[in-house]
Amino acid sequence: MSDVTVPRHMGINWIGLGTIIRREWSRVWRVPIQAFLAPWISALMFIFIFGFVVGGNIRLIAGHRYVEFVLPGVLMLNVVNAAFLQSTSQIYFQRFLRYIEETLVSPLSYVEMIVGSLTMTIVRSVVTALGILAIGVAFHATHMYNIFEFLFWIISVSIVFGLLGIIIALWANNFEQLTMLNVFFIAPLSFVGGVFNTVAMLPHWLKWLAYANPFFYFINGLRDSMIGFDEAPPYLGMSVALALIAVLGGITWRLFKIGYGLRE
Amino acid sequence: MTVPAINIEHLRKAYRSGTVAVQDLSMQVQEGDFFGFLGPNGAGKSTTIHCITGIATVTSGKIEIFGIDAVKNYREARRLIGLSPQEFNVDTFATVTQIVDWMGGYFGMNAAQRKSRVDMLIQRFDLTAHAKKQFRELSGGLKRRVILARALVHDPKLLILDEPTAGVDVELRLDLWRYLQELNAEGKTILLTSHYLEEVERLCRTIAVIAKGQIVRQGPKEEFFTTPGGLEKAYLEATGHRAEHAVAGAA
Repeated sequence: MSDVTVPRHMGINWIGLGTIIRREWSRVWRVPIQAFLAPWISALMFIFIFGFVVGGNIRLIAGHRYVEFVLPGVLMLNVVNAAFLQSTSQIYFQRFLRYIEETLVSPLSYVEMIVGSLTMTIVRSVVTALGILAIGVAFHATHMYNIFEFLFWIISVSIVFGLLGIIIALWANNFEQLTMLNVFFIAPLSFVGGVFNTVAMLPHWLKWLAYANPFFYFINGLRDSMIGFDEAPPYLGMSVALALIAVLGGITWRLFKIGYGLRE
Repeated sequence: MTVPAINIEHLRKAYRSGTVAVQDLSMQVQEGDFFGFLGPNGAGKSTTIHCITGIATVTSGKIEIFGIDAVKNYREARRLIGLSPQEFNVDTFATVTQIVDWMGGYFGMNAAQRKSRVDMLIQRFDLTAHAKKQFRELSGGLKRRVILARALVHDPKLLILDEPTAGVDVELRLDLWRYLQELNAEGKTILLTSHYLEEVERLCRTIAVIAKGQIVRQGPKEEFFTTPGGLEKAYLEATGHRAEHAVAGAA
């Protein structure tokens, strides 16, 4: 092995990349209740109470039952949480227990480290989404208007919040700091981003908030892909998502390159 | 002339806090050498190792591993190094097999290569009965064996051992010494830091002493035995301590 170079195809250490994913898969499966069951139960409660019980007394929205309208929002809410928690926990615990050093001393590139982390983030988000779709089936609320658009939103939003999670995990020096973004930014903005209501339901003076909120475009896009209902052009939302991926990806790569939060 | 295994020129490492841990350090470790790197706590041994292996950034200076720039061509340089760090840096909930296997994976070893190498190392370090245990369940000595097995999984040309026998029992220490001598005889270059002078005396052929971030003495082991008092006295003098005071203090 000593004189054998690390096998790379197209310049990528695929086995190393796969090992990061295997390691993270193993870590997530140590806490399946926290990783998967908790968001599914949370989604079930949201769908049952807001969609089914409360929604039973709400008129149709653009020809769709309220539970069908709510499901994409609840799904997006949980995908965002799954992606953010996965990436923050994997990077922060590696720093906290110092086993980030295993990857730092190995012949992995920064891009391989980032892509490895993001791949597992996408996997966890997709599994979470599939479970919620299955719950929606039980309420006859799951529809698939455009599966390719659906996949675009699940994957792109996972990458956005996966990257954001990596940046926060590199910056945080304690568990309190780790949760700050979720408490003050992600949770409030996702709730006012149209999970439970249309923009038309908002008072006129508050509508600007929806259009200025990136979560609105994510939820709007996913809703369009599931029930064909949108309140803003999906391509505008897609541009927002892709721009965020480019900006956050660039910042993350730069932080890895200078060793911020990683190297002494 | 062969390319040195480690070539460090004017290395300087300053932390963000402003502390300068290593300043203007230059040294060479020749291929095939068993190199002892000595110094008191806080002298800069671990920082130097961290700079070599990529755990720490380099403020200025040059580090080459078998002629490969360890900063510019870090991926090529790192594939040649195996590191056993002073502190346990593992996922403590992972099993022994996983820890060693994952490291092989990072170095691009395929499943068959990993299986054969991991099995051999687990057997070599007498870890078979503990292979499926989580790291946190192991005793200090067993943990140290896992860290050593992990460092060797990709069969590196250069092995860097930072206090490898700290906290291990006499049996493991003697067994480890034998194994390291075997590895060195097979051609592996070994850089060893230790506070046990007996260990360095028995194993190493070349010794460097670092104090306050600088190399204060370096040469073949024999040079450290030319004066009465041997390695201990030479070490204490090199690090700025008077041997008699140290002995009196110990008494």
